[in-house]
Amino acid sequence: MSTVIQEPSVDVVCLGVGFMSGVVATELALAGKKVVGITKGPYWDYVNDYSTTKYDEWGVGLGRKYDHPLPLQSTTIRNNSSQFALPVRRYTMPIQYHALGHGVGGAAQHYGGGMGRQGPWGYQMESLTATAYGAGFLSSINPQDDTHDWPLTYAQYEPYYVAWEEAHAICGNYNGSPTNSPSDMNYPWMSTNYPLPPHPLTPLGQLFQSTVQGMTAPNGQPYHPFPTVSALASQPYTNRYGVTVNPCVYEGYCGGLCDYACETGAKSNAAYRTIPAAIKSGNFTLVTNAYIFRLELSTSGDQVIAAHYYDAHGNIHRQPGTVFFNGMWGYNMIRLMLLSGLGTPYIYNSGLGTGTGTVGRGLTNGYTPYRGTNVTGTVNIGGNSYPAGNGSGGGMAVYELMDDNFIHSNISPPFIGGGLVSAGGYLGSGPGNITFAGGVSGPSSTNPNGSMGSAFKATQQKKYLPTKQTVGATPFAPDLPTLMNYVDLDPHYTDAYGDPVSRLTYDWTPNTYNGAAYLVNQIKTILDQMGATNVTVGSTVAPYSAHNDWWGHHLRGGLRIGTDPNAGTPTAWAALSGYNQLYLTPTTGVNYFAAGEITNTTGNNATAGTHVAGPQSYRAAEGIKKYLQYVATQGINYLAS
Amino acid sequence: MAAAGGALTASMVEIPLFTGQNSSLQSQLSNSNSQLANLKKQLDMMTGLVSLSITEQALLEPVVETIIPTDSTGVGAKEAGVIYFIDRQLASEYGLSGNMFMDAPHVPPNIPASSSNPLQVNPSLAWAFLKLPSGAYSPAGGGGSANPISYSGGSQTFTAGGTPFTVNYGITASPRVGSGINYQYPMNMREFWRVSLAALQTYSNRAYGGNFQTLSSDNQLQTLKDLWTNAPKTKTPIPADDLTGFSNIQPSDFAYELTFMTWAGFLMDPIYGGNRNMVGWDYVGFNGVNFGNAYGEGLSQKTLMVASSPTKLKPASLAQYQQQAAGGA
Repeated sequence: MSTVIQEPSVDVVCLGVGFMSGVVATELALAGKKVVGITKGPYWDYVNDYSTTKYDEWGVGLGRKYDHPLPLQSTTIRNNSSQFALPVRRYTMPIQYHALGHGVGGAAQHYGGGMGRQGPWGYQMESLTATAYGAGFLSSINPQDDTHDWPLTYAQYEPYYVAWEEAHAICGNYNGSPTNSPSDMNYPWMSTNYPLPPHPLTPLGQLFQSTVQGMTAPNGQPYHPFPTVSALASQPYTNRYGVTVNPCVYEGYCGGLCDYACETGAKSNAAYRTIPAAIKSGNFTLVTNAYIFRLELSTSGDQVIAAHYYDAHGNIHRQPGTVFFNGMWGYNMIRLMLLSGLGTPYIYNSGLGTGTGTVGRGLTNGYTPYRGTNVTGTVNIGGNSYPAGNGSGGGMAVYELMDDNFIHSNISPPFIGGGLVSAGGYLGSGPGNITFAGGVSGPSSTNPNGSMGSAFKATQQKKYLPTKQTVGATPFAPDLPTLMNYVDLDPHYTDAYGDPVSRLTYDWTPNTYNGAAYLVNQIKTILDQMGATNVTVGSTVAPYSAHNDWWGHHLRGGLRIGTDPNAGTPTAWAALSGYNQLYLTPTTGVNYFAAGEITNTTGNNATAGTHVAGPQSYRAAEGIKKYLQYVATQGINYLAS
Repeated sequence: MAAAGGALTASMVEIPLFTGQNSSLQSQLSNSNSQLANLKKQLDMMTGLVSLSITEQALLEPVVETIIPTDSTGVGAKEAGVIYFIDRQLASEYGLSGNMFMDAPHVPPNIPASSSNPLQVNPSLAWAFLKLPSGAYSPAGGGGSANPISYSGGSQTFTAGGTPFTVNYGITASPRVGSGINYQYPMNMREFWRVSLAALQTYSNRAYGGNFQTLSSDNQLQTLKDLWTNAPKTKTPIPADDLTGFSNIQPSDFAYELTFMTWAGFLMDPIYGGNRNMVGWDYVGFNGVNFGNAYGEGLSQKTLMVASSPTKLKPASLAQYQQQAAGGA
């Protein structure tokens, strides 16, 4: 067996090396601090790892050869605390349940690049809803409601958004209206435009743009369409850290076709934006293929002293540090804390409908139910040939049906929030993703032989040469935090090293469905105006009807920030309350500031949440700098405690 | 790129017929024929089965050809070599469940709620020994494998916006086929296919009076539809004695794998043994790894993507792309 290898102590230890650790590691290393980043996977190199083998839908998109290996660690899921949670056994399309990241860049090696901001409303959803619709409104529409404001307002986060967008080469244009007038929906949101222009617009995007510009939104104002915001560089760029960014080449192997791996580095993630600068500084040590399994606490239990990990050869390492930043994927972050006895575990009492503790509390979903109320129609515009385009550019979006940008009084069934509505993005997925990976099916009333036989086969002929396009939406309103949805440790299943895996207890909240019932008719009006034919509104799906098709890569929450010790865990500086030197920000979708603050499922990127986590990583970096300064001046030696 | 006078296409290699002005036509043709013969030999050497038994092959061939038939609209699973795709998958990561989480316990989905007969499952050793604060995570009774945890599911009513919603939660979830939590069998995919193929043949005999490969094409399709509806376990006169051999396997789970893998063999890159000559891509109009200039078309990807009608190109494969990238043909 192994002996424990003692690593030299450093100023900052980054747990996981994805988007969030990329910012923290780079900011601190450039400030002259010694930083170690530890990740369970490799350091992906887009030239050597992707440029010849990624055009392989079976191996990448379905076999996940660049992703997290499930035999190493999976997760279990259930809808309700009365159930046995089934483990996720395999990767499937649509992507379900499990985090995708493995190695430097993490889950952001595998996303489409949607990167809009969360607006002001999202940060104050609880208080603004109470002001507008009454103090009891949220709890009346959301059973066992657990919604809370963020500790900071949007205005306080805005400078961090700017830094994030400059570092990661975000494309878009905040001037979207015909007049670029101050009454644009965007103007309170952004102090400065995106660093790069948007991607070229498709004909369908143009039609959507011209149509909505002539329409009145529910707020009584004209719609103001904006180009979809993308984290895929539209032009060559050098970021604030001096890292060179290549532009997108639009080859279309950008979505389910290749699980989003990017062979040019145009797609933003830590491996191609921040970590190169951290390494160049000489102050950053990258540890790859290293699986962190515990945080070692001080004897008093109130400080983190070291991270323990297995290396690829089975050795155990002990990495001490002054500050620990947890930049793991959301439920891995929670799992590591629970395994280490760090923080107060969230315990749900189903009989009483109450919950105590914070770590794991408030799991939410940032995506539409797999089976939800929908609307579709057909427009007489051909699509691009397959494959072409990229995963997040080419379309236009409106914000008027989002957040509290329209009056929610007297809508039945009642809900709060809304969604971004966009159209015109590039078609791009591969034949597997569309034809069978989205779910081959058995016989049904509309498809008597299922995905079998000549009749079904004929529907696939020339499918990738679309001369008309189906346009539609399965809208949803924010999934609100409740006491019922949470992350804890599974009592039955373990990872490859014998430690319990995470267990997710989650069911959709009624707000998602009730919002869809309203939004679907607003979108229908737009489709009608676009001249779409065969516009059909699907039947309304009742709350709690789509239990376990979760799109789990869009789950977030379970460790929220906030100043209320019962409702929130990390403080406003992103430091865990009571553990001043452990800093956390969430990775895509899940983390401490996500859940209770439904906010990160609102705004211009409701689904991913990465862009809401991004500013928090800058906030954490700033907090860590202050903390190290404090330690330096006060002479506190936590390692001795 | 294009040769004067046209080109013969065999496999993925273009053979120029008339290149030199002074060469004799006869020698050109003879040269081409010999190249073709060599290519065929090469292809034949790679056309074989490494996992499927001869019995399984005899059954699976008509199954995949029923799912994607060769018909008036074009070639099907047969021409695409789907069975070779499936065979190689069964022999490799897919069949060995190499990227699946396979650990025990194996609890099936779709267990209905029951307070009188709850599911009892022992906790893991890690659970019993994990040191967590104040016993918060210890199962009732103090933990350890001697104290199983009980799950009963149940019905709950939630009121939202004044409307009550009653929700029934089974002991385990009822996922759709193909879901990541649906496959809970304690065997790898190769064993699952072995058992299920044999059960399918048994069912074919009992329900339709013969081996699958001898049935009419209508009955072949009906047999596969029966799998999707789990008829082998419920249909009469096929009795509830379950002698088809599906036993604890839901036939619809196997129907999913059959249909999924057949379409995969039709549409995935030829490098995996199916989609031969990219016939699947030709059928659906997918350009493969041709980004607009694989055969010297001179098109740019940026132009293709904002066009108001799609452009059909001759598809290129991953191997072709790699050869071009390496400076080859």
